[in-house]
Amino acid sequence: MIPAAPSHGKKITAPDNIYTALLAVAFCAVLATAVFVAYQCYTQYETIFSIQ
Amino acid sequence: MSTLTKVLIVLLTLASISLCAIVVTYVSSEVNYKEKHDSLLTRFQAAKQSEDNANKQFNDLKGQTDQEKLALNEKIAALQQNVSALEAKLKETEIARDDARRKEDSWEAAAKDFAKTVEVNNQLRTNAEDQLKNVNAEFIKERAQHEQTSTALREKMAIITQLEDKWKGLLEEKTELQKKLDGMLSQYGKLVAEPVAVTTVSEEARVAALAKDIDLKGSVTSVDLKNLLAEISIGEADGVKKGMRFHATRGDKFICDVVILDIEPEKAVGWLEMIQDGVELQPKVDDKVSTNL
Repeated sequence: MIPAAPSHGKKITAPDNIYTALLAVAFCAVLATAVFVAYQCYTQYETIFSIQ
Repeated sequence: MSTLTKVLIVLLTLASISLCAIVVTYVSSEVNYKEKHDSLLTRFQAAKQSEDNANKQFNDLKGQTDQEKLALNEKIAALQQNVSALEAKLKETEIARDDARRKEDSWEAAAKDFAKTVEVNNQLRTNAEDQLKNVNAEFIKERAQHEQTSTALREKMAIITQLEDKWKGLLEEKTELQKKLDGMLSQYGKLVAEPVAVTTVSEEARVAALAKDIDLKGSVTSVDLKNLLAEISIGEADGVKKGMRFHATRGDKFICDVVILDIEPEKAVGWLEMIQDGVELQPKVDDKVSTNL
């Protein structure tokens, strides 16, 4: 992706890499949440998906 | 990249971050139900074991309690019997006590009466001793008089002995004279009367009657005019003797005399004398006979 050159008279827009970074942050947040939930399930119930 | 895509990316990022925050908050604050379950299960098992132990101890205690209860019931029954026996003994003892009190009262009254009686007896004894002294003095005097009287009595007894000898001789003479007089008077229906006592105080001496009526009465039971014999209804049991003379009568009329010849216990036979003239005055059965008219 090539950042767009600033132009006079045009609306300032964020580069596309920012949105990619946002997606990466969202993915990381979801992944971290999933790992945390899995960790909690394992530590509390000694299993992840089903309770014996 | 279109604007819509960009907006969606931003919204997706925000939503993901917020949802993750919510999930993380929820999961971190969620209660550990397994641990809670395990702890509750452990507590339940411990409680159940405690219950079993408690039940066992309860049963043991119940058995011991039942045994002790039986033993105590036996002891209670024995004690009740003892109590009943003791109550009966108590009643008997109370009755005996009441009797003893009554006896005590009666004995006290008797003792009081006895004390009074003793006092009276002492007084009487004192009086009696005084009287005895007087009597002894009188006895000594009367003894002297008695000796004098005994001497006079002996003299009079000698006189009485002499008089008895004379009286016996007179009695023998009287008996002989009585026999002679009875023989003479019995032919005429008379009997010598017993002599009447002659008063010795103030009346003058008088002669007693020499004879009295025999007064025997009967009837003629059979007549034999050919042999001049008749049978009468009285005999020796009534006092009839040989030689007695009976007068036979019929109403106011004299019939004849019957002189007794033979005697039987219930009847007698006699000789007819002084028979009257006339058929109507002849002796017959049922004529009355008597020794005195």
